[in-house]
Amino acid sequence: MPQPLRVIYSAFRMAMLHWMADPQWVIPNIIAPFVFTTVALTLFKNSSGPLGLYAVLGGGMMGMWGNTIYSSGFAIEFEKWQGTLEEVIAAPSKLIHVITGRAISNAFFGLTNMVAVLLIAAVGFQIPLGIADPLLFTVSLVLTLLSVSALGLVFASAFVLSRSAQALTNGLETPLYIISGSMFPIALLPFWIHPAAYILGPTWGIDAIRLATSSQYASQSFWAGMSPNTALLLDLTVMVAITVAYALIAVALFKIVEKRARITGTMVQA
Amino acid sequence: MNNLKVFFSSAVFSFRAQFDWLNPSMWLTMKLVLSLSQMAFFVFVGLFIPGSTPSLISFIAIGNALQSISWNTVFSVINITGHDKWDGTLPLVLATPAHRLPLYIGRAMIHVLDGLLSAAISFFFAAFIFGVDFSHTDALALAVAVVLTAFTMAGFGLLIGGFSFFFRNPMVFANIFTFILLIFCGVNFPVASLPTVIQPVSYIFPLTYGITAARNAVDGQTLLQISPTLAQQILVGAAAMIMGYLLFRLFENSARKTGKIEAI
Repeated sequence: MPQPLRVIYSAFRMAMLHWMADPQWVIPNIIAPFVFTTVALTLFKNSSGPLGLYAVLGGGMMGMWGNTIYSSGFAIEFEKWQGTLEEVIAAPSKLIHVITGRAISNAFFGLTNMVAVLLIAAVGFQIPLGIADPLLFTVSLVLTLLSVSALGLVFASAFVLSRSAQALTNGLETPLYIISGSMFPIALLPFWIHPAAYILGPTWGIDAIRLATSSQYASQSFWAGMSPNTALLLDLTVMVAITVAYALIAVALFKIVEKRARITGTMVQA
Repeated sequence: MNNLKVFFSSAVFSFRAQFDWLNPSMWLTMKLVLSLSQMAFFVFVGLFIPGSTPSLISFIAIGNALQSISWNTVFSVINITGHDKWDGTLPLVLATPAHRLPLYIGRAMIHVLDGLLSAAISFFFAAFIFGVDFSHTDALALAVAVVLTAFTMAGFGLLIGGFSFFFRNPMVFANIFTFILLIFCGVNFPVASLPTVIQPVSYIFPLTYGITAARNAVDGQTLLQISPTLAQQILVGAAAMIMGYLLFRLFENSARKTGKIEAI
């Protein structure tokens, strides 16, 4: 196995083992999306139309988001607390490969969060979870997961140098739920926020996931007027392009951040 | 006099131990972002409901303004227990000859002041960003409701903090008990919207009374008119605080006997 893949796999495995050793850590990751979805479903319960769809899929998306943002921010903080960050940096493996392995494991847990939210909605609120196109739904979900992971890498690189990573993590979670339109259309947001929404991969991902779930949503999609499948493919194309950009930015940022941390020697104290 | 000194020292040091690493500009940024973002999220959810009215937006904004206090008085106060364990300071706390009551209650007090600042910022956002009408508000009644909410929720935070001594990871409880308030306390929808069987649970949280009192004060009710609600809130908050203290003493006695302090 090539060395980068071996490092990514080892980091992924180690993250899994950490989680299994102390599974209660999943609770802080999932509690906000679960509660936000419950509140939204309660608020929407007397309304008709696709509101339930927004709440359920949005809640699931928030589960993935929350897990990735929280875990990316906390990954570096965790190493600092355990006193292992120096060893990770000193190892010949590249930091980005280590963090990529963790980001993938975080995204995987994010997927389990999504499933948990969907199950709660189906069982607790009797929301029908029929999916119009299971194949396109799966493809959209996996690509969104990768996009969320890539964005997590960008955040992780910035968090390396910040002593306030945990605070930033807590602070970023809800604004990202808002800006990506997880639970409501971004048309409701002030127009000056829209550009921020468009550069977030998951904004397009949730649009694709909604299109794959229900053809009735097509009129509310970003590509209203087009056929649902065309709109969905356009969503995925934009999201893939954004995800590639995230990955390139993350690689560049990790190089800069790692070099700077080695020169200044402030990584652990930062 | 000594107990008063313990009370104030405990208040200042527990806050500094928790947030000294956070520079003031980041602390303020987080305070503004957290207060605004949670309120904005639920206001936009409210706006998405067909036929949404200004009264619904006002209902949501005021509920979230009050709930913002819990980030300080519940989340942070429970996490004091976590920091005591992670930072290795718990054995030192238990070794001090200081009276335990001011030591335990005092640790939550700066968080009460911090919570009041969060509420003030949130009410500012409610008025100037989300257009909540405060023209009929009885300011005294609202101020008393907010202050009592901060104190009584700190009591609730101390209760869960006391309970968390018996577990390895108090942060889990901090997350659970801060977020479930959004479901149970009438923050975004009336308690009556909950299934009947779980509605009684709402009334074990002081926040439920605080939010009701604050909404009534914003609608123009006087302090006298909301005082029955506030009396119930004080009762629930005081009971929580006392139970939290008793749990702390129980943990201390058990820790002395078993030698298990951090390693539960």
